[in-house]
Amino acid sequence: MAILSVDNLSIGYQTKKGMLKAVNDISFSIEQGRSLGFVGESGCGKTTIGMTLMGLLPDNASILSGNINFMEKDLCDFSEDQWRNIRGKDVAMIFQAAMNALNPVFRVGEQIAEAIVTHNPAFSKNEVNDRLKKLYNMVEIPEHRISDFPHEYSGGMKQRAIIAMALACSPKLIIADEPTTALDVIVQDQILKEIKKIQQALNMSLIFISHDIAVVAEVCEDICVMYAGQIIEKGSKREVFTSPKHPYTKTLLSSYLSLDSDENILIPDMMETPDLIDANPGCQFSCNCNCRSTECSKNAPGWIDISKTHKAFCCEQGLSRTNNG
Amino acid sequence: MAEKHTHIIELKGIIKEYHPQKSFFSKGENKIVALNNINLGIKKGEIFGLVGQSGSGKTTMGRLLVKLEEPTKGTILLNKRPVTHLAGKALNNYRSRVQMIFQDPYQSLNPHLSISETILEPLKVHKIGTIVQRREKVIHTLETVGLLPGKDYYNRYPHQLSGGQRQRVAIARAIVLEPEFVVADEPTSMLDATIAIQLFKLLTRIRKEFNMTFLFITHNLAAAKYLCDRIAVIHEGNIVEVDSTNEIIGNPQHPYTKKLIQVQPGFHFNHLS
Repeated sequence: MAILSVDNLSIGYQTKKGMLKAVNDISFSIEQGRSLGFVGESGCGKTTIGMTLMGLLPDNASILSGNINFMEKDLCDFSEDQWRNIRGKDVAMIFQAAMNALNPVFRVGEQIAEAIVTHNPAFSKNEVNDRLKKLYNMVEIPEHRISDFPHEYSGGMKQRAIIAMALACSPKLIIADEPTTALDVIVQDQILKEIKKIQQALNMSLIFISHDIAVVAEVCEDICVMYAGQIIEKGSKREVFTSPKHPYTKTLLSSYLSLDSDENILIPDMMETPDLIDANPGCQFSCNCNCRSTECSKNAPGWIDISKTHKAFCCEQGLSRTNNG
Repeated sequence: MAEKHTHIIELKGIIKEYHPQKSFFSKGENKIVALNNINLGIKKGEIFGLVGQSGSGKTTMGRLLVKLEEPTKGTILLNKRPVTHLAGKALNNYRSRVQMIFQDPYQSLNPHLSISETILEPLKVHKIGTIVQRREKVIHTLETVGLLPGKDYYNRYPHQLSGGQRQRVAIARAIVLEPEFVVADEPTSMLDATIAIQLFKLLTRIRKEFNMTFLFITHNLAAAKYLCDRIAVIHEGNIVEVDSTNEIIGNPQHPYTKKLIQVQPGFHFNHLS
């Protein structure tokens, strides 16, 4: 039984120019203890998904259709009070900018304790302190730093503190939105290992959002590749990364620089960004696709099953053409 | 070294210290050594990579080279002439020959200036060409950096452009004076992989077309490998290793370089379940 299942979800932002469909008809589910990664470039709707699952969408956003089923509750018609009950307790988020996610005028320990006290009002002071120490040990920050202020922490420690805060009530589902973007490679490596270790130790479900495919490859078991508000390919990590099928996934993978990639890097010619307000009826990627036909911008693509778990959102011709090419 | 005479930029014994200001909480006694005795030569026409983690002093070095800051000790040579404490006209002249591309295209462009005004400014400051010539030069530069056709972008403002296009404008502003040496400080760290790779291609093309020398500052060793001829690894203000790109990646000597290579994220499918 999946802990979270999202069906045909569409989310729009009301803008001056009209309704901007940031997330367009996406479906996915995640089992207890699994990790699911969302990859895509900026503006493809990854963060909007994360914010929806936390109930933190801004005022001008609305869920246009679809439903979100989390632990057998429909999150779409949750009131703010109901959200407050599960936010932090059942779903928690690790935010992007650790530098700004902590309040500079409160001690870090107090900020983490707030989450514990809110959801466990009966806890005594000692119980809260014990829990704090346990969390600090889990994320490997020395206990004596509990009563320090955020400015006394380094970037990596702040990110660890944010992780501790997300873990405070042992949530069932953790959403990590680009948790390592602001960090340099050495600290990033430590934090990714930390997240993976804790996720496996506590058997939590993890949704990991990043624009960096290598980071997602390191943490997640299943991958969803997004483009212009849609999931365009999903499958296990091995399936998506070793035999990508969708032309966009191929572009994304071939433009990624790694130390062992040789001179065979393809330079994508992607100048256009699809208009999400007045979207064309066909494939959103068709304007940049190098194996498009004239039909592509008129007819919507469909899901093509490649294996039991591996699917691509394209047309038959597109897949076969890229295979030959 | 035999090729020493071709060095365009040389750093000799550069030390940069910062002295925190006295305040209520600190007495300002502890100095911070950002760069510790840097000796480095960059050859004409090469793309030289400077790789290190945050706080290693790589941006400080970039700022010293474009003279946004002065070193505490040591000399910087441009074409064998010392340029360490320039002022007035000499500094002005230096700035027309050495330019910088900044990290964040969302902050480095003035939102009040149109694209043409942004790129015209260096030409105006250095009194180059007539109004008509300047206009042509701007359009030509816009097309060089891949904003085609240049006229379409002439009167636009930064908010009308995407991140990748903004960074192209920032590159256009840096190269419009056809400088000899350009410092690029993490020019793609804010951009997506598909956009970043296009900008790398652009930089290599500009290098060929104008025979420019680049200092490419990054924390991403893979990007440095793709772009650079030689790489220096910097750690806590010290340069720990300088060598050709192939040697640094294929045969790292210093333990810190080895560690940097080891932590690069990548897809290692051999040990996946």
